[in-house]
Amino acid sequence: MEYEILAHPASSVARLTLDAEETITCEVGAMIAMTTGIAVTTTSGKKGGGGGFLKGMKRMFAGENFFLNHFTAEEPDQTLIIGPTLLGDVVFHDLRGGTLIIQGSSWLASDENIEIDATWQGWGKALFSGESMFWVKATGDGAVFLSSFGAIYEVDIDGEYTVDTGHIVAFEDTLQFKIVKAGKSLIGSFLGGEGLVCRFSGQGKLYCQSHNPPSFGKAIGPKLKPR
Amino acid sequence: MSTLDFEITQRPDFAMVSVRLDAGETVFSEPAAMASMTPNLKMKAGLKGGLRKAMGRLFSGESLIVNTFTAESDPGEVTFAPGIPGDVEHYFLENNSLFLQRGAFLAHSEGIELSAKWQGAKGFFSGQGLILLKASGYGDLFFNSYGAILEIDVTDEYLVDTGYIVAFEDTLDYRVVVLKGSRPAKTLKNFLFGGEGLVCQFSGQGKVWIQTRYVHPFLSWAYPFRPVKQRN
Repeated sequence: MEYEILAHPASSVARLTLDAEETITCEVGAMIAMTTGIAVTTTSGKKGGGGGFLKGMKRMFAGENFFLNHFTAEEPDQTLIIGPTLLGDVVFHDLRGGTLIIQGSSWLASDENIEIDATWQGWGKALFSGESMFWVKATGDGAVFLSSFGAIYEVDIDGEYTVDTGHIVAFEDTLQFKIVKAGKSLIGSFLGGEGLVCRFSGQGKLYCQSHNPPSFGKAIGPKLKPR
Repeated sequence: MSTLDFEITQRPDFAMVSVRLDAGETVFSEPAAMASMTPNLKMKAGLKGGLRKAMGRLFSGESLIVNTFTAESDPGEVTFAPGIPGDVEHYFLENNSLFLQRGAFLAHSEGIELSAKWQGAKGFFSGQGLILLKASGYGDLFFNSYGAILEIDVTDEYLVDTGYIVAFEDTLDYRVVVLKGSRPAKTLKNFLFGGEGLVCQFSGQGKVWIQTRYVHPFLSWAYPFRPVKQRN
């Protein structure tokens, strides 16, 4: 599979070129356009693999869709254009045997031999991170495409690093993280608008996004008509 | 090729088009598209092409009114920017036709006719107004998008999610087909079986312009942030 990121960085999409028999698994709704030699199948788990109802439910809690779309090229040299909902960037991550933990809605697509699962981060982290309770866990070898709200920036952590939870896109699981107060006191942290932050430690790569989707939603929401 | 002297700037996220008019030249735009202009241009709002054509435009999601900008005695410049941040593309019509998705029209030069084309069942099943605006004649046409515009050269067959179509040449044949599972589920039925998306299947030879974002999924994303109405 070859890829190209177009309209970078604010309206980014990924254009993928698939050889015959190659499959890419995408978030439902990610497909924008494609050539006609691609078959689309929808499952709640890995393509051709065993059941995924529970996995599907877990993914739903992770802010992803219950279903996954699998695009398989039936002829050589097929192209597929995929993109996220919000304005922002798309990045490619080359996963080599490790695990990448991805913020609920930032997973866009991955190679078929990458296992996509939702991971439970524990009650404390779930309740206080202000994001979805689950994260998407991608394990295996191959390409992973991540999307962000706003621009993406990479941080190579060696030691400790603090990030506001809403700005996390993904991180390698060689990193440990815990949810801590941003300031000295809990009230001070919330008054400062930072609330709780993520404190990473260890060695590994972290992808952050310049803008925080829940903050944007909360900023525009009150200006909309009540539902 | 073009008849107008123009420049598109700030592509692809905040694109706008500036048109330099010679004395006596005219350009037409979607209402409210004018961002700035030299004071010597004369602006006139009106129902271009008679009431029937204007009603047709309204039907296709465009405005009833088309604004006319004329440089009367001296040259001048006008800049048009679409209401939604995104891209702007130029197309030169040489007595052929281009179809535009609703809301995609920005401006055109003299010599271009706009009319609505009701797609009948094609539009009906798509449920999202595949009611197209048809631009034909000889001259310049400017259209806009949400997100960036990508140009696709179709030589055989190509599929585009209906929501992402911006424009296409009339040399292409098209039909709307259902693509199972390609959209998030909205009802219980498709929650259990996967949502259905509608794609436009193009065939033949010609160009299609697609946008990299679509407003509707963004609105669905924003919906849960709306306040809940108080019930007394």
